[in-house]
Amino acid sequence: MSTLTALARIEAARTGSAQPLATVRHCHLGEQPLVLIPLKLSGEAAAPLAAMVGTARKDPALLVVAQPRNRDLRFGFAAELAALVLSYVESRQAGTETVPTKDGEGRQRYSDAPQVLVPNPGGITFLRLLGRSTRFRRIDGPYPVEASVPLLGRWLTWLCDRAEQPGSSVLMPMTSMLAGHWATGQSTFEDANLGALLGWLDPPEGMTGPQAALRAEDPLLCPPAGPTTDPGFDNEELAPLLAAYDRAPADQARMAATDRLRRALRRQLEPTWELMWRSIELLRALPEGAHVTGRWEGDRESFTHFAEGVPEGFPQAKRDSAVAAARRLIRLERAQDELDVQRALDDPLVMAEHRLTGEAFAGIVVAAQPDRLDTTGKTPKLRPYLQVRTSDPLRVADGDTVHNAGRKGQKALVVDVNAGTVLLELSSGMGRKRVAEPGSVPEVGDRVCFTTFAADFHRSPVLPPLEQTPWTHGGPPEAYVPGDDEAVAYPPTAADALEVWE
Amino acid sequence: MRESPESLEQRIAGLRSAVRRALAGGDRTAARALRAELRAAEDSWERAVLGGGDPKPVLLPVREQVHHALSLLGVPAAPKLIVAVHDAFFSGELASSRLTSLRRDEERSFRSAPYSRPYYLCAALTADLLAPARGLLVISTWPLPTRIVGPYSPRADFLTSAIRVAEHTLRTGAGGDAVRPLLWRFAANIPGAAGDHPHDADPRRLLTAATAELEVHTGKDTEQRRQAADRARRQLGDVEQLFGARLAAAARAQNGRLP
Amino acid sequence: MTDLAARLDRLRGDAPARNHDARTIAALTTNPGCGRRGLMDAAGIDKDAVARYLGFPAPFGQSQFAIARGNAFEKQVKDDGFAELFTLLRERLGLPVPQVAIESLDEVGGNHGSELRHAQTRRALARALAGDGSTLFDHPLLRLDIAGQPAYLEPDVLAFRLGDKFYVIEIKSFAIIDGQADPEQVAAAARQSAVYVLALRRLLTQLGHPATAVSHEVILVCPENFSNQPAAAFVDVRKQLSVIERQLSRISRIDDLVAALPEEMTFELGDGLASAIRAVEARYAPDCVSSCELAFFCRDEARACGSTDLLGIAVRDDVGGVETLATALGLADGSLAPSPEQVEIAAKLRLARLLRAQALEGVA
Repeated sequence: MSTLTALARIEAARTGSAQPLATVRHCHLGEQPLVLIPLKLSGEAAAPLAAMVGTARKDPALLVVAQPRNRDLRFGFAAELAALVLSYVESRQAGTETVPTKDGEGRQRYSDAPQVLVPNPGGITFLRLLGRSTRFRRIDGPYPVEASVPLLGRWLTWLCDRAEQPGSSVLMPMTSMLAGHWATGQSTFEDANLGALLGWLDPPEGMTGPQAALRAEDPLLCPPAGPTTDPGFDNEELAPLLAAYDRAPADQARMAATDRLRRALRRQLEPTWELMWRSIELLRALPEGAHVTGRWEGDRESFTHFAEGVPEGFPQAKRDSAVAAARRLIRLERAQDELDVQRALDDPLVMAEHRLTGEAFAGIVVAAQPDRLDTTGKTPKLRPYLQVRTSDPLRVADGDTVHNAGRKGQKALVVDVNAGTVLLELSSGMGRKRVAEPGSVPEVGDRVCFTTFAADFHRSPVLPPLEQTPWTHGGPPEAYVPGDDEAVAYPPTAADALEVWE
Repeated sequence: MRESPESLEQRIAGLRSAVRRALAGGDRTAARALRAELRAAEDSWERAVLGGGDPKPVLLPVREQVHHALSLLGVPAAPKLIVAVHDAFFSGELASSRLTSLRRDEERSFRSAPYSRPYYLCAALTADLLAPARGLLVISTWPLPTRIVGPYSPRADFLTSAIRVAEHTLRTGAGGDAVRPLLWRFAANIPGAAGDHPHDADPRRLLTAATAELEVHTGKDTEQRRQAADRARRQLGDVEQLFGARLAAAARAQNGRLP
Repeated sequence: MTDLAARLDRLRGDAPARNHDARTIAALTTNPGCGRRGLMDAAGIDKDAVARYLGFPAPFGQSQFAIARGNAFEKQVKDDGFAELFTLLRERLGLPVPQVAIESLDEVGGNHGSELRHAQTRRALARALAGDGSTLFDHPLLRLDIAGQPAYLEPDVLAFRLGDKFYVIEIKSFAIIDGQADPEQVAAAARQSAVYVLALRRLLTQLGHPATAVSHEVILVCPENFSNQPAAAFVDVRKQLSVIERQLSRISRIDDLVAALPEEMTFELGDGLASAIRAVEARYAPDCVSSCELAFFCRDEARACGSTDLLGIAVRDDVGGVETLATALGLADGSLAPSPEQVEIAAKLRLARLLRAQALEGVA
């Protein structure tokens, strides 16, 4: 956090309504995100209980496991979820675009990618475990599952892996998305409750933010957004309903018991479903940040690559090898740096954070020499001078290089810093001629912002995606092949047959 | 007029919320009353939707089923193992829930008319206090040392059970899905008893491995049980020798070492 | 009874003392600076009842599914004479085959009385230390005195004579998946186990043996992956041990807190309760909600006085420790003159406010 964000929170707390932390949307939000709200059985690592899934607010699908301790029913649920998720994934593969390649032939990339939205980070953890528990399943042998089940596991694993990449939009928790764009007058701890968070952002008619948030903390009025259910619901509703299912003597009774269970779980899920779509509306109302498209392109790239490997590939390894883990860490750190810079460039409110710390400054051009030439070298070079007046705290000194936030690739040298005025010498981003391209040099009276970091700062070694490591660099990292380890642990034999579930 | 299932359903949902509300507010009395109302509404719902009551489960003579299983094992056993042995080798259903009140019923029967039955199902006795050991059933006709458990007995009896189960399997040629999990339950936890493949439990190998480990413990175990049995004969009356000493008697058994 | 204990009894009034357990003792370490909680815990006050009475019931409660799962897994590990646990200890820790004796300490001849069970546990451990005891001790009952009140603690199992040491074994039903478990749950288990280690060390010291005879590593037994197959992991609890010891030594220093209170004050349920509680300063933090029954009451109090504590420690740090929302905003808009030590943060807040306004103006 920063003083700026802290101030926003304090203002929110004092005024009773949320304060913006962003002026643009920093994540991709597609036409058709797949909203997925999973619920699990308390006390179990990844025993699904129910899920509400869909791409249309009016038409959610409700999946329910009538007895989460029954493995057949659990894998039945996985198969149902697979049908929905896999057809959604397939629908994202409808269009492609051609990406130029060095050999001139070009390759195809999907023009869309899946985007799954869950209520909170716990939802992702659950999907990761569900992915882990399904992707190694066999479709033959002693405990066969439907072919879609291991495939679901592989896609869930891809989504969860990709979600770790800063700036990726393929799988996101709604609480993080909202908290990244607005400050509430409560703590980040309380922001983890989607209902309470949204209460601040969009309180019901006639309520203040804190009132709405308080109301959302009552599990009877606002059931938790999962994946863990409210203990009161477990003890007073779910337990009798599951017992009724177990007791049901015949098919008809079992169906009746399942119906009641479905209705109870629907009541638990529907409020969160509404919260999810209200959140989407709020986020949609924000204009998209300029760099979002580029980051989404990275997601589409990863999606295309993974989809190509699915038919003959193996399920992802249980753990990364040391080398892969290190590479991954570097990649994630780089993505984080890049995201930070891009967000600042896209959004004056984020840039304000950097201005506060002196990593950037903004001001008005008070004097300019747009056609100044540096004649000290053999050939004269175009080096316009700009004098910028700013009230920002300045941490730059003579000789520093700064970057024009408003014009990609334009660098300047700090020549002099004096009492709120900075003299800059522009060195690039003005075209190749001795006279600047029209509009490429800020004019007197213009508002400008210069940063000590640049959008392409980390771009210097443009690395291909890990999967496309060229042969000169050792080729793509070794494909993962299920080894003996798998053979022992997974034909779902030993461990599974020992599942007692009682 | 009978309430419609839909309206009952709504009332049930309302009552559930009311119960949770009452509990959240700490009002247990109200919660109890509401729960009773809820249960009544649920019963009505079930009658309205399903008609008729539950079919009655067929009552089988539990004590005989337990007697069969225990006789096969020959050592004190917990209900869970008794049920597993029953399921593996005998027909009919034995619900573990029906074992819970068994011991108390047996004791009551013995007290009202001692020795009127050929056998009683009792609790094993702990070697130190000669008190009933929780959750371990024995047959009254077994020798006293067998009915007493000392520190080494849980392991020794586990191994003996394994041997008896393996022998029974070999003798009767029993096999199949019911027996395999039982064999595996033993084999997985006895060194050298499990095969190369998970769930591969060969009764012959189980027999050898269990016998080998039992050899290690049996001396100490038998001696402790024998000593405790001697003490029990000196200090306990007939009923107590079968059903265990209470704390006062237990304290006596420990020579007043307890406060 | 010490004066302090008598005074704490008076604070509690007629309500029965709520005994500490490993969980509540471990919880003492999560917000050690909170005098209100320290005092109420030391006096054995039922904070849950207090919170309900005040109209701020704690949002706790455990799902019966979680409880059932925990019980079932523990039972399974202990079934058949602890067969699965022995297999684990033999395979993972090299426990020799002859060591299979088990001492069951969860009751004494049908009696579950704490003192009786504790005495039984002492005897059993003394025998073991004398070289003539069992290997596993099932549900021993340990004791730790907290501000003069005995707290009885019940680890799942103790193991002895794994290399001449005692080990605390905790059986937990959260899964270890691919060698990793939920860090929060592991941390909670480590805190709880550390309390057991401490209590066991104290007992051994009383019996004339060095505290180091109890290992600082506890053995965590959890289901592996998605099966019910148990797996064992060592968890080093040295850090938790020192935190808890420090906390416990502070608790006995609550004399000062008590001394500052009016002699007749009590926390008994009644009209004066809220004001009595307010008389003892709390240190509210947002995550109190996950560990203290009184959290919602304290939050309400923090809200009423517009404390920056409401927003969490990070926010408070970012505004230089300024205590109230009003002060922070006053410094930011210049309506409040900063004190000498606030000059720096005031300048920063003013600039932050200006920058926010500029950025938002540009959009509007």
